[in-house]
Amino acid sequence: MEAILTRHLDQDNPQNLAAYQATGGYRSLNTAFDLKPEKIIETVEAANLRGRGGAGFSCGMKWRLRGADAPSPRYLVCNLDESEPGTFKDRYLLYGAPHAIIESVIVSAFALQAERAFIFVRGEYAKGGHRLIQAIREAETAGLLGRNLGGSGFDLHIDVHLSGGRYICGEETAQINAIEGKRPNPRPKIPRPSTHGLWGQPTTTNNVETLVNVPHILMNGAEWFRRLGINGGCGTKLFCISGKVKHPGVFELPCGTPARELIYKHAGGLDNDERTLLGFLPGGASTPFLLPQHLDVPMDFDPVAEAGSRLGTGSLIILDDTTCPIETVLNLTRFFARESCGFCTPCRDGLPYLVQILNAIATGNGSADDLALLDELCSTIATQSFCAFAPGAVMPLVSSLKDFHEHYEQHIITQRCPFDASRKEAV
Amino acid sequence: MDTFLIDGQSVTFEPGENILQAALEADIQIPHFCYHAALGSLGACRLCAVEINPKDSDKNARVVMACLEPAQKGLEVSLSAAAAQQVRRHVIELLMINHPHDCPICDEGGECHLQEMTVACGPSYRRYRGNKRTFPNQDLGPLIHHEMNRCITCYRCTRFYQDYALGNDLGAMRLRNEVYFGRFQDGPLENPFAGNLVEICPTGVFTDAVFRQHFARTWDLKTAPSICPHCSVGCNTLPGARDGTLRRVRNRAHQELNRWFICDRGRYGHQYSEHNTRPLSPRVSGINTDYRSALAAAARKIQAAAERTGGIGSVREDLEGNVMLRSLLNDLKGIFTAFNDPELEAATLTAVSRMQELDNTPHLAALEQIDAALITGDLTVHAPMIDLALRQAWRNGAKLAMLHSSVAPLTQFASTAATVAPREIHDMLTQLYRQISRQPETNDAVTQTIKTIAATLSQARQPLMAGVVETSTAQDIIALAELAKAFEPAAQLIYVLPGPNAYGAALLSAAGDTVSLLKAVERGEVQTLIVAGSDPFSEPRSGARWRVARQKINTLIVLDCIATATAEAADILIPVAAWPERSGTFVNYEGRAQGFSTVFHRPEYLPSTADIISEISRLLENQLCDAASMLQDSFPGFQAPTPGTPGVQISAQHLPIRNNELMQTEPYSSDNGWQAALTSWLGDEPLAGFSPALTELAPPDTALINPESAARASLKSGSSVRLWNSVYSVETCVQINPSVANETIAIPRSMLVRLGIGHGDSLNLEQLV
Amino acid sequence: MTDIDTLQKDLANLPPDHPDRREAAVPAMLSLQSETGYLDDAAIEKIAEVTGLSSTEIEELATFYSLIYRCPTGRHIVQICDSVCCSMRGADQLLTAAENYLGAPLGGLASECAPTVLPSICLGLCDKAPAALVDGEAAGPLNRTLLETLLKRLQTEE
Ligand SMILES: Cc1cc2nc3c(=O)[nH]c(=O)nc-3n(C[C@H](O)[C@H](O)[C@H](O)COP(=O)(O)O)c2cc1C
Ligand code: SF4
Ligand code: FES
Repeated sequence: MEAILTRHLDQDNPQNLAAYQATGGYRSLNTAFDLKPEKIIETVEAANLRGRGGAGFSCGMKWRLRGADAPSPRYLVCNLDESEPGTFKDRYLLYGAPHAIIESVIVSAFALQAERAFIFVRGEYAKGGHRLIQAIREAETAGLLGRNLGGSGFDLHIDVHLSGGRYICGEETAQINAIEGKRPNPRPKIPRPSTHGLWGQPTTTNNVETLVNVPHILMNGAEWFRRLGINGGCGTKLFCISGKVKHPGVFELPCGTPARELIYKHAGGLDNDERTLLGFLPGGASTPFLLPQHLDVPMDFDPVAEAGSRLGTGSLIILDDTTCPIETVLNLTRFFARESCGFCTPCRDGLPYLVQILNAIATGNGSADDLALLDELCSTIATQSFCAFAPGAVMPLVSSLKDFHEHYEQHIITQRCPFDASRKEAV
Repeated sequence: MDTFLIDGQSVTFEPGENILQAALEADIQIPHFCYHAALGSLGACRLCAVEINPKDSDKNARVVMACLEPAQKGLEVSLSAAAAQQVRRHVIELLMINHPHDCPICDEGGECHLQEMTVACGPSYRRYRGNKRTFPNQDLGPLIHHEMNRCITCYRCTRFYQDYALGNDLGAMRLRNEVYFGRFQDGPLENPFAGNLVEICPTGVFTDAVFRQHFARTWDLKTAPSICPHCSVGCNTLPGARDGTLRRVRNRAHQELNRWFICDRGRYGHQYSEHNTRPLSPRVSGINTDYRSALAAAARKIQAAAERTGGIGSVREDLEGNVMLRSLLNDLKGIFTAFNDPELEAATLTAVSRMQELDNTPHLAALEQIDAALITGDLTVHAPMIDLALRQAWRNGAKLAMLHSSVAPLTQFASTAATVAPREIHDMLTQLYRQISRQPETNDAVTQTIKTIAATLSQARQPLMAGVVETSTAQDIIALAELAKAFEPAAQLIYVLPGPNAYGAALLSAAGDTVSLLKAVERGEVQTLIVAGSDPFSEPRSGARWRVARQKINTLIVLDCIATATAEAADILIPVAAWPERSGTFVNYEGRAQGFSTVFHRPEYLPSTADIISEISRLLENQLCDAASMLQDSFPGFQAPTPGTPGVQISAQHLPIRNNELMQTEPYSSDNGWQAALTSWLGDEPLAGFSPALTELAPPDTALINPESAARASLKSGSSVRLWNSVYSVETCVQINPSVANETIAIPRSMLVRLGIGHGDSLNLEQLV
Repeated sequence: MTDIDTLQKDLANLPPDHPDRREAAVPAMLSLQSETGYLDDAAIEKIAEVTGLSSTEIEELATFYSLIYRCPTGRHIVQICDSVCCSMRGADQLLTAAENYLGAPLGGLASECAPTVLPSICLGLCDKAPAALVDGEAAGPLNRTLLETLLKRLQTEE
């Protein structure tokens, strides 16, 4: 398989401008400038590049729907806020290939005719953010950014916005508020950011991994990109694998690679060969569990959805049979309760309620009615919250009520956690 | 109009309305917290869940937020659907997780929106087993009490405070279930509309700190429609009383005036009626007595003086009191005026006549729609709710241009603001007029400011001219009206008048009577002076003259409900009912007559001014008709409007004022020294001045001077100075303030009174070492 | 990162309601904090002055973000991840170990030279679980011994 996203990647010693250009970097600029922006968008849409930030929306379609006649100024936001537990692929891109990010932002901004772009970097990645700023200065000095960049007649300014830190800042409209210097609560869905985003102007937000595909699609064509995938997937994907595996890490593999291959071949299988797989979260902390019977599901948007979960960020979190699933769900729910922006009632006050119940169960204080109560509360939290944070937050919990029903019952009946013994051994 | 259905009932809607708005207008109560008619939809509380069945579509029924869902023709909405009910029940259950169960002692009890919603939607029993989250409270000053544990995070407070009232010292801190609404640090809320938090908060987080000091359960309060007596806007209020004392004042919605809000002076100024210096017993020669003896004494003195009786009505006295006093003096052939300062009389009469002539004075709701304004003076203090309406206009994109001599908070939102010394305003307006009518004189050095303001006004669809009578001369007022005329018929004109019934007082006054009366008193031609609801001794410009002239008066009879300097000096003091203790009529700045009713009676016998004058006339054996027929005589066809109705435009003939009649006032003394300017603050109003909660917030008495003028005179912040006019002097210290005009010393009213000078008069300054 | 003085100069001549002022608020806070370690009340007022926003408006932001510190911090900051992957691999025990070692609750400072140890949401270091950021540099996988050695070094280092 051809590595495209990881082609230039070097975590310890990322390429400077000269090295990057010497290995083919920034060549997509000329390809792009020779094309009409609409043509680029058409190609990206034809390539079926789907968003890597979690929702999997078609990138080309999003760009097309914004409209070529959107009023100026227009903005592009590159989302590098990556805070979804289990997800660390964007960190690899940021620390490993800053110029690849800049190149893809330039090409994408050209396609969208955006004159200002923001790269929103999570605060914990500040070191990488500073490297990125240096790389931007290099590119500016070389005339690859700024007025009439590369002689194209196109102007672009890129700002790096370092986040003050909060998971919700990754949500596109909260991020817009954060950049403007407002409290990063999400904004209403209507009007859409594509028409009323930053300072009320048309704004397009994409995950950094999504954008890094764009130069390659331009250079090699839509058909080439589609064929990179297998089992019906298109392109490659940076899969993150973590949890109870031997070799956790980021792996660039074809979209559609089955989970079994990811876990057992690339990540080296479970930590301890004597253990068995309990289940896994396929797309980060806000996706429903998959079970051992799903190991052969191709890791691509539609097949994972058919299996009842979401590809999300393509980050697999692996649980073995020493991991208490209730404890895991409690940890996840606590994370979301802690990171809730506090804007809407179901999320702000519902998640801590769930934590309270889960904690009771996990510590052997659960009661027989708790499972129905969890289910009931989740139905409102999942459907009636203001933004997509809370629906995602309860996904693992809701699926665990089915998938790990016996575990819950065992906790409640025996009034203790059956995994207590193995937990002690782990330290 | 198109319609949709809520549980089978047809509801009409305007295009652009959402389901919740349309339902509330049709009086269908969809439960909600964060939505408020003035603030619009937010979608945060998630209580307004309804089920919708999209017609002609294969989509399933789904639960949506009524406040975010556009109303659509033929839509079927269900409030009663089980799915929607479950969501509402869950939302209430979640909100009640942390809410304290302190309802029995909560100030909000009886008018708690949260309690109503909980009863309407919520589970009655608690399932949550964990601990409650608790918060510390902040000290937000004397007006508002803070109880954060009761918060349900609907964001109404910050949306009102920041987005609507444009304040910036109350905010939402932190996140998750720890969102905290408060200030950066303890301290009084700075916005002059902060008191509305008490009403906008659906639970008991922000409550009325003054009411708390003397609390009554809200369902035990006696209420009746009233009108705010603290400025000429005439906001509608709902005072609440219990056991013969006034406890609080709340807003009463008037769709053309104050809508859902009132200013803090209106809300907290009422403490004057409970002030410990309030006269509650008649007093003759310093000795308490009963009404019968006091009125008999008064009648005797009036009889003795016969034609040598004078009368001063008041801009804060109702139409009834003023008209009765005028009639009494008519019968006695004495001089009546409703003003106590000749220049204020001239300015007010001019202002009223110009507004009548132009006949285009907008109400507050219309003000929100203007696109440009020229404002002279400080509206925030003199007519707070006009300021609030202009803040809405600003939010809608209006350009505000301001000319001011001293501090004027609205300048924060001005696109052009220039400081102009009091005596130069006229010149500025004249230049502006020439610029607009394109006839600049060759020697006019047209400044950029003038050009910008002229351009702003000329480009506007509907420019507004707004002036403050108290800090204007009659000439300034004419100049502003001329500007408005240049834009006829589009232009609107507002003068903020110096009292809740200044318009009515003007209609009952004849130009020049104030100066005639003052001179007559000075000449010893007035033996008995009746003063009703007025405080001539505390008038900046003429107060000193009145105080001196008082020696020439045999008997000073004062009718009032506050212990003014004039009342303190009275030979016969007759206490009258305060506003909520009587009924009457005020005419606001638009000429809108509004009635107010008696909310309650105090234990003491306290008649109204009109009643007292009627009684005096009876004792004089010349019984006057009742006030209503007197008003009919003055204003043919006039019917005092019923309290609680929107009021009626008073149909007086235009005031018979000619310019030359107004010029009798003495011109400013014109040496080359400093000019005095009035600097005011929200509580600076005769009644509110007796409200301890407000006066606690008064700024220190200092002399404000701008940096440039201060530097020229080698003054620094804190420098001690002596200010003097021809006779009187005061010592104070300097504070540098860039909002003050050049060569101008901005001082509070009390200092002007002590110096015996008015806004714009000359002043000398000497630095003390 | 633009330093606070440069920001102040850039913003000085903008009109009071210019959007750049608000946009600069978080960068200004992070920039000042990089010099002072945390933001005390005076610092919040300083940011308000630089941006032209009110101190309440600055506080609304400062208290939202996890990386803006309103309490004193040590010379070094150790953020230990407590999210799902790290927790599976012993993060909770690491946090307890840190508290015990330092003799102060998380976020607290037992002595002037002690580092600040804070629990953190997923640091994006799940491949190094259980992981931490030490003054912004990734560290992991950690165990109790490694953590204690690290804390000791930070405590004694000049
Ligand atoms: C709570 C929440 C957190 C999110 N965090 C991120 C994030 O850290 N990075 C990201 O790229 N997208 C994140 N997203 C998704 C973004 O809102 C947005 O959909 C995405 O950046 C679009 O890019 P894409 O179409 O390229 O995937 C988040 C969404 C939600 C609801
Ligand atoms: S679901 Fe509500 S509280 Fe939660 S993050 Fe979204 S808006 Fe904020
Ligand atoms: S009123 Fe609709 S969400 Fe609050």
